[in-house]
Amino acid sequence: MGVVGVVEADPAQPVQSSPPEPSFTEPDLAEPGPEGTTVPARPKAIGEEPPPTASSDQSAEEPAAQETPQETPEQRTARFERDAMPLLDQLYAAALRMTRNPADAEDLVQETYLKAYGAFASFRAGTNLRAWLYRILTNTYINGYRKRQRQPVAQPTEEITDWQLAQAAQHTSTGLRSAEMDALDRLPDSDVKDALSQLAEDFRMAVYLADVEGFAYKEIAEIMGTPIGTVMSRLHRGRKQLRDMLTGVARERGFLRDAEVAS
Amino acid sequence: MSCGDPHDTDCSEVLAELWLFLDNECDHQRGELLRRHLDECGPCLEEFGLEEHLKALLARKCGGDHAPDALRHRLRQSIREIMLRQAVLSAEVIVQQNDDGTIVEVSTTVESHAWLSTES
Repeated sequence: MGVVGVVEADPAQPVQSSPPEPSFTEPDLAEPGPEGTTVPARPKAIGEEPPPTASSDQSAEEPAAQETPQETPEQRTARFERDAMPLLDQLYAAALRMTRNPADAEDLVQETYLKAYGAFASFRAGTNLRAWLYRILTNTYINGYRKRQRQPVAQPTEEITDWQLAQAAQHTSTGLRSAEMDALDRLPDSDVKDALSQLAEDFRMAVYLADVEGFAYKEIAEIMGTPIGTVMSRLHRGRKQLRDMLTGVARERGFLRDAEVAS
Repeated sequence: MSCGDPHDTDCSEVLAELWLFLDNECDHQRGELLRRHLDECGPCLEEFGLEEHLKALLARKCGGDHAPDALRHRLRQSIREIMLRQAVLSAEVIVQQNDDGTIVEVSTTVESHAWLSTES
């Protein structure tokens, strides 16, 4: 048997679309496949002059060198693997802060990555992949995920912060702040994570994206789908609440005496 | 509110923009103005130090989780399956002549991807 209309591309040689020899005499260029068939080692089969018995439209393959610039699924997958998979830990951490439990976080990240992979052809290289993935994560979470969450959303917070905002633009006497700083440093990671998880979702994400992930306001606005002003307000309120909460925890733990708390 | 010392920029103004400054969201000119104020105003500098400290604390303590290996593995498998389905749809058709002289169409196989089966 022999292969008709297929010749294996030799990477070392320029591709010829019209070889001088009839192509069915070159089976030795291809690797033997299973069941005695001849399968090219590469999927890029080169079309050759059709034998008289084959209809001409069966051999209309483009030479490898003239392949369309469009990505093949294999190339796209390789690009996804190279660029998106290394961000999995970060996305998982963010999902954990959003959902506040590991099982939900895994589901959320999986859904996010499969969506991202499905849409990856439309992602333009050179744009911000990390922000793009976070945007998908956030949308996936908001549009549906939140509804079937295993844990109820923690607390309403809009009203809580107003009294805190009142003390925003003034500083208090010197000397007390460093005690607060030291006390916060001594808190275990779990206390800080717990405090963050108690913030309302929108505040929590704004603080997380800014302070942990280091996104710029503009990027956070794109990720959360809100104006920059909203991001700033959420960040402002979230940080205020968080600092207050952490100071409270530090006091509970005995790292900070009442007298040392600036107020 | 002011710390009592004369400044080009009032303390309350500076404190209101402390986070913008901290997050590197001020334009250069405004940033320089705030920086100068912080250089000469102890109370504002201390407030800035605390916010900066808190930001760093959050970054240190609230990140760094690792995705479970099982999730990573599951994702790679799913992506591979999706890719294979797409690849089959776009697989090129080659023509093959059997020993008895009949002509058949054979889809090319997809190359194996070493990266899909190995953990990086």
